[in-house]
Amino acid sequence: MSITDVIPDDADLRAARRARVLDAMEAAGVDILITGREPNARYVAGVPRLWINGSRPFGPGCVIERRTGSIHLVSTWDEGVPDDIPHENLHGITFNRANTLAWLTTVEGAATAKTVATDGLMPSTLSLIRTAFPAADLVDGEQLMAGVRRLKLPEEVRAIRTSVRIAEHALAAAESTLGAGMTGRRLTAAFMEAMAEAGVTTPTTQDVAWITGRDRHWAQASRDTPIAVGDLVAFDAGLMADGYVGELGRTFAVGGLPPAARKLRQQWDELWDRLIEVCRPGASATALLDAYDASGAAPPPVPIARGLGLGNDLPFVTGVLRRTAASQTLETGMVLALTAYVWEQGVGAIYGQEPVVITDDGPELLSTRPFRDQKKG
Amino acid sequence: MEAAAGLIPPKPDLARMRRDRTGRIREVLREQGLDAAVFLGNTNVVYATGAIWPLSDASRTNFEQPVAVVLADDELPHLFSPNRADARIQADLPDDHVHGPAHLDFDEGVETFLPQLFDLVGEKASVAIDEWSHPLRRADVFIGPKGAPVDAGHIISKAKLIKTPDELACMRESLRITEEGIRQVHARLAPGVRQTELTATFLRTIFDAGADVNILDPIWQVMPNSIAEGPWTTTGDLALPLLSTERELARGDVLWVDLGISYEGVHSDFGRTWVVGQEPTDVQRGQFDRWRAVLEATLAVTKAGAKNSDLTAAATAANGGTKPWLPHFYLGHGLGIDSAEMPFVGSDIGEEFDASYVLEAGMVLVLEPVIWDDGECGYRSEEVVLITEDGWEPMTDYPYDPF
Repeated sequence: MSITDVIPDDADLRAARRARVLDAMEAAGVDILITGREPNARYVAGVPRLWINGSRPFGPGCVIERRTGSIHLVSTWDEGVPDDIPHENLHGITFNRANTLAWLTTVEGAATAKTVATDGLMPSTLSLIRTAFPAADLVDGEQLMAGVRRLKLPEEVRAIRTSVRIAEHALAAAESTLGAGMTGRRLTAAFMEAMAEAGVTTPTTQDVAWITGRDRHWAQASRDTPIAVGDLVAFDAGLMADGYVGELGRTFAVGGLPPAARKLRQQWDELWDRLIEVCRPGASATALLDAYDASGAAPPPVPIARGLGLGNDLPFVTGVLRRTAASQTLETGMVLALTAYVWEQGVGAIYGQEPVVITDDGPELLSTRPFRDQKKG
Repeated sequence: MEAAAGLIPPKPDLARMRRDRTGRIREVLREQGLDAAVFLGNTNVVYATGAIWPLSDASRTNFEQPVAVVLADDELPHLFSPNRADARIQADLPDDHVHGPAHLDFDEGVETFLPQLFDLVGEKASVAIDEWSHPLRRADVFIGPKGAPVDAGHIISKAKLIKTPDELACMRESLRITEEGIRQVHARLAPGVRQTELTATFLRTIFDAGADVNILDPIWQVMPNSIAEGPWTTTGDLALPLLSTERELARGDVLWVDLGISYEGVHSDFGRTWVVGQEPTDVQRGQFDRWRAVLEATLAVTKAGAKNSDLTAAATAANGGTKPWLPHFYLGHGLGIDSAEMPFVGSDIGEEFDASYVLEAGMVLVLEPVIWDDGECGYRSEEVVLITEDGWEPMTDYPYDPF
């Protein structure tokens, strides 16, 4: 079904997400939560807004007040805004701090709030908060929101599944153009075109394919390097449909996997089997790093597990943050992009990433053609 | 018009561009008595290091952002990124200036980063930072006299105002790539085509043509005939930009197009009005002529030394006394490492600001006046110009077809 109108997120989903946010605010004693990061603003308000590439400096984008549940949103128009956010709570785009300050003071209980949370900070944020909310202490709202969003509602898992399906479709279209002389750039172009023809125009990465390096463990050739027979080409496909991220990674070679890479592929399979075995409720995220150690593969410098959701999701597991990994436990309702990566000097790398949902019964893969089962790669 | 034409090299020298930019940051550091600046904002990192960053949308960027450190006494910047061996990132920085990732959105990431930073500048150094994070606040570092860090964002804002010759060359290339995409899209424009299909053609073409990234979800907004037929707005005026969907375009639809890409970290901006499946009507041609008149009146006063208010006054006078731009935006804005950056001309920062802000040679302005006849729709396009001592010169000569 094609979407031809800009509409808010489903009413039940909005209500369920907001209830979680309000509960977390209650538990943490937060009176007013100010979000600037799009994933958090989307979770709270349920309003699709313009996708842009890259980070935004922190600024108040969406505010929720605990006592009344009232939401204020930066939006100059009401398209896509649900009727539970009244017009008087919409505040137009502004380039003037005084205007931001003016609407912040209209938030219910602004004068008396004791605790205000923000999901980001600029050097100027402290003084803005002190002026708008003179009685309040400023606390960390990103931790609060990341905690809330960590476990997915069934409707969120469905949304992620949809995104994964479209990402798979676009990845297959890009892969079908793989041949000697192609470049990472043109594979990226093919992916983008297929994604948008399928109705989704918002990627999570714009570096979709690269030739893996033969001389260094984690290396990418330039986007314009022609692909040759024997090159191992990594594909990293990610997009957001209705705000939810679907990502998966694959590695292919022109004319099929070269004989020199067969052992590496076996190593990938073994590593993957160890990783997926960890994905059960109650497991420490550290066990994912242990799986790398046990298989003798060095983890890449990027996360080996990254939560999927509206963005900036937990768990976040990377070899450079071991203590952070140890503080996270896999739980039913988590959805994560799990990466197995193996590399061999002179051969290149095999990169495979699967979206996985943790259930009471163990891991469930969200892709329809898991890389483990593909032999042509 | 030809004043600065000779100053823009036909091809950018990327190493020189990076040196010029780092040099400007260091100049501001020295002026302000600072030892170092730390940058987290993606486009600021691009400015400081020359590294491009195609791995980012707003969903993963806070957890996995690249970080740059510029020292007052080192002409080379430091980059913290997982992609140390990315062929493009590494091109111009020696190994000892490229470090592993700094995850400053995590307490452990801050704890790992700080000793590396202090190795570079010493613990007592005065350090500015463009974005703060709660973990950095908990670590109680970089706190200036006002209880918060010294803002390094201002350093980039100041440094980036005047474009270097190589930045202008990159912008020309960025515009060229954009227009190649637009040419393909325009050829596909017909009744029955979906907005997302126009995006598909655009994305395909720009990546093939050399874009690093697409910077916003392209806008192909079908305009209503009257404000009342569009969404409610806080201003009582038009809504723009509204999101693209799988909506099929119909014959006679008036589209307002707005989009941009990035090439070597320098953004393009493109805005036009198109009519679907038929030639513009006489009324539409009249609106275009009035738009041209407003643009020409504005450009007639555009030069180094002019104030923003000279431009807004000229535009308003040419429009019969009514401001010809959207009240939630501006008559014009700067363009460079961000798709809209200072100077903002005619924004809600206010008339006092516009009356005091002086344009300088080397700034780039995107002028985007709007002509609107309520009940009969309107016309909007964007014109990208470089400010020169004597006036301005166009950054592109892309036509206004079908007008």
